Amino acid sequence: MKSRAWWRQRVNFVIFLGPAILLTVFFFVVPVLIDIAVSFTDLGRSLRVTRFTTEHYERVFGGDRRLTDVMALTFIYVLGTLALFNVTFGLVLALITTSIDKVSGGFFRGVWLLPRMSPSVLYILLWVWVVNPSQYGLLNQILMTVFGLEQPLDLLTTAPIALIIISNGFIGASMGMIIFTSAIRGIPEHLFHAARVDGAGSLAIVWYITLPALRWPISFITIYQALSLLVSFEYILLLTKGGPFYDTTVYALYIYRRAFQSGQYGYGAALSLFLIVIGIAVALLGWRFFDMKRLLQNPRIEVQ
Amino acid sequence: MASIEFRNVIKRFGDVEVIPGLNLTIEHGEFVALLGPSGCGKSTSLFMLAGIYLPSGGELLFDGHLVNEVEARDRNVGIVFQSYALYPHMNVHDNILFPLRFKKTPREEALVRVKAAAELVHVGELLDRRPSELSGGQQQRVALARALVKEPQILLLDEPLSNLDATLRLTMRTEIKSLQKKLGVTTILVTHDQIEATTMADRVICMRGGGIEQVGTPDDLYLRPASLFIAGFIGSPPVNLIRGTAENGAVHVGATVFPSEGIRGDVTIGLRPEHLKFAGDGLRGRIAEIEPMGREILYVVDTDVGHVRVLEHGSAAAHSAGEAVHIDFSPTEALLFRTSNEKLIAGANVCPPRRAS
Amino acid sequence: MTTVPLTTSPVETDWAQLARRARWTNRARTSALYAFLIAVSIPIILPYFWLVTIAFSARTGIAETQVLWRSLLVLVPAIIACWVVAMVARNLRRMLAGFAVVAAITAVAFITLVGPSLHLGNFIFLVERDFASVVRSRVGEVRGATQFPSVWRAFWNSIVLAGSQTIIVVTVASLAGYYLSRFQFPGRAPMLRSLLVLHAFPVMTLIVPMFLMLYYIGLLDTLFGVILVLVAFELPFAIFIMKGFFDAVPWDIEMSALTDGASRRQAFVKVVLPQVTNGIIAVSVFSFIRGWEEYIFVFTFLIRNTNWTMSLYMFFVRDDVMGVDFGVVSAVGVFYLVPSLVLYAAAQRYLMQMSIGGVKG
Repeated sequence: MKSRAWWRQRVNFVIFLGPAILLTVFFFVVPVLIDIAVSFTDLGRSLRVTRFTTEHYERVFGGDRRLTDVMALTFIYVLGTLALFNVTFGLVLALITTSIDKVSGGFFRGVWLLPRMSPSVLYILLWVWVVNPSQYGLLNQILMTVFGLEQPLDLLTTAPIALIIISNGFIGASMGMIIFTSAIRGIPEHLFHAARVDGAGSLAIVWYITLPALRWPISFITIYQALSLLVSFEYILLLTKGGPFYDTTVYALYIYRRAFQSGQYGYGAALSLFLIVIGIAVALLGWRFFDMKRLLQNPRIEVQ
Repeated sequence: MASIEFRNVIKRFGDVEVIPGLNLTIEHGEFVALLGPSGCGKSTSLFMLAGIYLPSGGELLFDGHLVNEVEARDRNVGIVFQSYALYPHMNVHDNILFPLRFKKTPREEALVRVKAAAELVHVGELLDRRPSELSGGQQQRVALARALVKEPQILLLDEPLSNLDATLRLTMRTEIKSLQKKLGVTTILVTHDQIEATTMADRVICMRGGGIEQVGTPDDLYLRPASLFIAGFIGSPPVNLIRGTAENGAVHVGATVFPSEGIRGDVTIGLRPEHLKFAGDGLRGRIAEIEPMGREILYVVDTDVGHVRVLEHGSAAAHSAGEAVHIDFSPTEALLFRTSNEKLIAGANVCPPRRAS
Repeated sequence: MTTVPLTTSPVETDWAQLARRARWTNRARTSALYAFLIAVSIPIILPYFWLVTIAFSARTGIAETQVLWRSLLVLVPAIIACWVVAMVARNLRRMLAGFAVVAAITAVAFITLVGPSLHLGNFIFLVERDFASVVRSRVGEVRGATQFPSVWRAFWNSIVLAGSQTIIVVTVASLAGYYLSRFQFPGRAPMLRSLLVLHAFPVMTLIVPMFLMLYYIGLLDTLFGVILVLVAFELPFAIFIMKGFFDAVPWDIEMSALTDGASRRQAFVKVVLPQVTNGIIAVSVFSFIRGWEEYIFVFTFLIRNTNWTMSLYMFFVRDDVMGVDFGVVSAVGVFYLVPSLVLYAAAQRYLMQMSIGGVKG
């Protein structure tokens, strides 16, 4: 016969944590296991397993020549977007909007949040219109009337990689902007005052005071945004469908196309597995960014 | 060194006028304290001197030159903030070196000067430490060194001692004062602590509501406070205030009569607890409470004119609660204020009530 | 003190020159910063503005920019005027008066220049289910239009998807967040650590196995299946945020509730939960918007067009009617975008509070 307190503890655990654990196990752990299992089968469009095989892994390590291109592209895409927009431009926006007056700063931050606040389908629709290859595309109209361009540009075929970097970057920059802005706000104001009195100019203040204080947020954004760029393909799928041909098919989109367009679920699962491993590794790396002491702080009531 | 002049300086934050028009002159090499309760505009004035805030109107002059718009970094002032504002990611050495980076001081000379400044405030041993590894007092010294290393013409101290414990405060008070005398730099101290102001500064400027209430030496403020506000603000325990009406050569407070000269109308008598003593004659009362304060004892005496605080030297109480006493004071030490405008009435005096003879 | 005297060297300072320089650099700096911000914001503002003008004015079916430029001709001077007023005005009264004048002039100019072009015809999809055929027949094409479900059907589906997802996420996350924040139990630390891993876990990588799983358990092509998936993926983040809010509730009030005779469950419902309303609002809004915008999972997991959500509706309208009528596509876009923006704007105060609690400073 267990004591009432013992029972109450069990019941509380089930009531409070039960649903969360159930959902998590069912939608995180089980899919990973399914993914591993499926990657060793020939599961295809028929959704039927006929035999077990390791040929997908053989393909990954040598058999798939397109995969090398895809990985090179992924590298350029992630690094380019990260370096140009998510970190650098996000930082620039945060620095500038916090150094002008509050209302204007908030307004410009609001403008840059607009892409993040818009549904993806709509956001990309705007891009499709802006870069429309006919003379009706907004960009072409401006280039042709204001800058006297003769022929309309077709960026979707001539510069698709630049296009996916910019369209993702416009969204990515806002995350860094928000995080950096709140970090800059958290720097004690008298440090800026002290630096000014000590003779530092605006740039020197950024270099000696602001940037050192942003060390953690910057590395946090770098790691997390790199991961999110690596695994997301929504905007690319909507904008270029990975094309022309495979020119803008990054790794994550390649998985998607293999699985859902070519119906090679087994191969898609094998490809996914690598991304899942990277994802878990980065997530583990993420521990470093959190204040574990605060997170794990012990509850102060012992009654159950 | 520099002389400083505020000419009708105004400061507004949005629609709020914090300083309606400040006039003040500070001489070369003077040590001045801006004293007042929080929100009286003393820190705002200091920040305008530093170039952190820009005046909304009026003229701010250094050595007779208009500096209203000159940037903080060109003013050559040193400042110590209440929180010290040490750069958290730099060690002590780099903190002190920081101002010299922007003065294009040759590397060799800069290093020598950092060392000298650190020695000056006794933190020569701590150059490799981070601010977070220093005690409050050490941080304060480093902040001083950083303010002094560029040889400023003006040194600004914004409540520099308020974050230190009582003993350390005493040491730093003396040290800063002697340092200022040694360097001769024009120094302005902002504080809400009257003891800090009166012990350190040559001249104390008492501020209230963005304006100057009184300027004077510490003695002036204590012995001849210009207003009820200053009398109440300076001195601890606070001054006893007794309201009455002056007519026919005496101040009447209820049935009690204080003989006086040279005044008429509603007045307030100010009596400092330390100027009161128990005697055979004077204001009658009964001791209500006894508060030992170490070297002194504070008696709260219940009298016909209300509670009166009396401070006596000595560590053991010479009187006990409930005892009937008489309180005496010297007419030269009693203060008289006009109740209506709260200003000191010069040339008037008041005596303790006497037993009818 | 003996080595180097800390005395001031007598240097003549040209104060007037310094003041001039300060004034000049300040102005240059401010103008440069504003110029930069305006320049980089144009590529964002312009397309959105274009979308709105097309939705309310396009007639020919082509993506015209006439109305866009004309309304900019009115609005840009108006914005500059407002700015000048704000700079020049000495007090709030005068500033408001200035704004009123600018607004009046702008309104008149807008009505005369842009007004005649405005119409609501492009919102035909709200009343006409088979609007695609209507639109096509205007340009002479009779056949080939996609059979669209009613937009209200998609709207309803999106509301159901986002709404029920939100309710489940908030309920489960509040329970779990509270337990993790306030209860001591064996395995608490590892559980919190793994929560952090899940918080950062890239759910997109699970799309293939998730598709297969939904297929095996028969939830493919059902709203319920997508809802469950979205709930699971939102959950770690929501729990994390809720735990942060619970952590901030003072212990004293909970302790006094217990002393007053409440059980911990009662204390949770009656005392603690009301303290975290801001957190609940933040998590709700965030989940709702996520569900409202969701595209990839619904695109992959929902097949029948009666199950379409707004994002799919938008996508297929764009696919089908595009090139035929930009006006209708824009109108659908505005109809789809506005709820998101309104929610963001209304809840912005709460969303800012959740930021990324717990990251080292």
